[in-house]
Amino acid sequence: MRYPFPVGDADFIQGDEAIARAAILAGCRFYAGYPITPASEIFEAMSLYMPLVDGVSIQMEDEIASIAAVIGASWAGAKAMTATSGPGFSLMMENLGYAIMTETPLVLVNVQRSGPSTGQPTLAAQGDVMQAIWGTHGDHSLIVLTPATVQEAFDMTIRAFNLAEKYRTPVILLTDAEVGHMRERVYAPHPDELELVCRKLPANEEEAKYPFGDVHGDLVPPMPIFGKGHRTYVTGLTHDERGRPKTVDAEIHERLVKRIVGKIENNKKDIIDYETYGLEDADIAIVSFGIVARSAMRAVKELRKEGINAGLLKLNVLWPFDFELIEKIAENVDRIYVAEMNLGQLYHMVKEGANGKAKVELISRIGGEVHTPGEIVERIKRDLR
Amino acid sequence: MYLKPSYEIRDKYLRKDMLPTIFCPGCGIGAVLQYTLRAIDDLGLNQDEIVWVSGIGCSSRVPGYVNFDGLHTTHGRALAFATGIKMANPDLKVIAFMGDGDAAAIGGNHLIHAIRRNLDVTVILVNNFTYGMTGGQVAPTTPKGLRGTTAPYGSFENPFDIAELAVAAGANYVARWSVFNYLQGINSIKKALQKRGFTLVEFLSPCPISFGRRNKLKTAPELIKWYQKITVPISKAKDMPPEELEGKVVIGEFVDRDRPSLVEEYEAYKRRAKKIMGWEE
Amino acid sequence: MRLLNTTGWVVKMQIRIAGIGGQGVILAGIILGEAAAIEGLNVVQTQDYGSQSRGGHSIADLIISKEPIYDLMVTKADVLVALAQLGYDSTKDSLRKDGILIIDTDLVKPDREYVGAPFTRLAEEKTGLALTVNMVALGYLVAKTNVVKKESVEMAIKRRAPKGTEEINLKAFRIGYEEGLK
Repeated sequence: MRYPFPVGDADFIQGDEAIARAAILAGCRFYAGYPITPASEIFEAMSLYMPLVDGVSIQMEDEIASIAAVIGASWAGAKAMTATSGPGFSLMMENLGYAIMTETPLVLVNVQRSGPSTGQPTLAAQGDVMQAIWGTHGDHSLIVLTPATVQEAFDMTIRAFNLAEKYRTPVILLTDAEVGHMRERVYAPHPDELELVCRKLPANEEEAKYPFGDVHGDLVPPMPIFGKGHRTYVTGLTHDERGRPKTVDAEIHERLVKRIVGKIENNKKDIIDYETYGLEDADIAIVSFGIVARSAMRAVKELRKEGINAGLLKLNVLWPFDFELIEKIAENVDRIYVAEMNLGQLYHMVKEGANGKAKVELISRIGGEVHTPGEIVERIKRDLR
Repeated sequence: MYLKPSYEIRDKYLRKDMLPTIFCPGCGIGAVLQYTLRAIDDLGLNQDEIVWVSGIGCSSRVPGYVNFDGLHTTHGRALAFATGIKMANPDLKVIAFMGDGDAAAIGGNHLIHAIRRNLDVTVILVNNFTYGMTGGQVAPTTPKGLRGTTAPYGSFENPFDIAELAVAAGANYVARWSVFNYLQGINSIKKALQKRGFTLVEFLSPCPISFGRRNKLKTAPELIKWYQKITVPISKAKDMPPEELEGKVVIGEFVDRDRPSLVEEYEAYKRRAKKIMGWEE
Repeated sequence: MRLLNTTGWVVKMQIRIAGIGGQGVILAGIILGEAAAIEGLNVVQTQDYGSQSRGGHSIADLIISKEPIYDLMVTKADVLVALAQLGYDSTKDSLRKDGILIIDTDLVKPDREYVGAPFTRLAEEKTGLALTVNMVALGYLVAKTNVVKKESVEMAIKRRAPKGTEEINLKAFRIGYEEGLK
């Protein structure tokens, strides 16, 4: 298998480029997208590579069509992805909910830019956190990953596909214009060195009859893709285990939605990923994710040099969320600072997790500039006086 | 044409456990579904290689009643989903079953682009001039002056001619019939299913409960008689002056051509890409 | 002003290249970054520009380090290369008090100590293409700071320069390098 970019080697590339390459190495062979700053580079890279690896990259008429085509392709058997930013992300919400309800594996990349509305198209922000988790209507759950470096953008794209296939769910890769456009050295392993996961297909006709039932006891049904003679019916209406619409039965609805939510919530241990630095003896904790986590890390180091025991919790997965972890940290520190490029979104989840056991403060930054380590240090020192 | 008894078609192709359908007495959707199934049966197509796609509406419920792979999607978006299905697995034959509101209003943009791309799909479009499932609101196809719940004094907008739209956008095959033109309907669907690229067969279909009732056509027979009055075969229409065609609906085959389809074009594109990059075998 | 010596350099270096759109500032940044990557160093490269394709400011930031890098933006540049007055004006406050200022002496009137040469003029006269000013400046920068090896940059130019322009860009780079050694 030949690849149109270096494999088993390092290259100096942008985050957007890294995401595209990782997708192809993960086995993605369908991409549908619409141009939008700062995600267009992902689309352009996919368009360059896909025809060469016998995949499809197609420009749809809008973002709604893009995610629709991705869902269709997934049911036809392909690993599929689309990428967008704020305005397009908002358009995709309805079909994202459809993908959750129909348990369709896919990867949706949101390269966040400053909003709301058209906002600052070329500048980074982290204003879509709540939307990524709750943006689509109705009760649901899904997985949200957040890279902080270009290497992480690469690694987490591979992980996104694996999680999507394993749990038969959409996975959102929530990154931002900074990570998307900065260049760093990235090592791309050869696919033979990668652990790749593919969706469970039905083992026999009996299993294929229940595309939305807990056939294996792990809450994840096998996926009877189209064209194999399974006569699968997929609908966004509430449905029973066989996929038949059953819209007025409360018990069926509860069973279905709770299983879909349970797929994620009951597997937190497997899905959640985070890194800590210095939390063992910290009095002050900084919780951060994405591009801001880098400044936060520097800030922690600076604070320690000045004798302040600070620690960092870097979240690599924003949802599902480990509320218990936050509470444990809150028990050991006096204050928790949440540094994010918005007016407070992760802040609320951390506050809820802390359960009153520590004071939770927000270090907020909007306008397109990332927090500098100095800003974070100054704020913490000022509060200590 | 020899027509098998309906129960043979029903037994072979319908999901028994999903019946009865939600369709009202006098609804034309059942007829259109029957014509589609007869066409598939006549052609001897492989049931395992066909995927039905639909949006939201009474017509869009059809894939749930037939024993094929089916994707019942979001309002207006069936053709976007269909693009993904077909391009990811070109061996599948995709049939899109939609209503006029779903296809031409919220789905208008996707319709135009699917036709522009000449996506390999057969659209069976049930046109009842209204939004039936939600109670009879006006649609972009409601003839001017006729009533809907959202234009109780008679529609003040010009309607679309979906068949003409499809021709202008570049479809390979477009036909329009009313539900009582059953022979022509079945034959058109057969033609459409066998062609590459975008094919559309539109059916004027009675909706007595949501549309007819508000427009003094309370029963299906009255609606069908009305269709007989207002439809004009294309062979006659092309010699008629515009004033005579006011308020009439042209039926027949509008276009039958073989422009390259999206799948063909993309295959050529891949070959071109490999050639440009020096990747040929 | 402290000039970095030939053997070691500080564990981390923040470099900012500033000019106006069309001078190839971003490409210079990418090539320098690629050179550092080729040597196995950690490097982060970001950029900032106005919406005009030509004429607005254009800034390329590089952070090069032997250790993992957590910063993204140049906060206090160790080296500032200014190819145009507009570029200099937008960025001069980001240069450290004892940092190095490298300027195109024809186009920039600075208000502090500097080193430099008439990069644009050299590019025009020696390569016939004023557009290679970015490579001339890059050569000068590498000679003066030794942040990466000359050979690494040349390899990066061969990889990143638009097809067909590798030779002329290499030539411009070497001219700037020679100038910087003086």
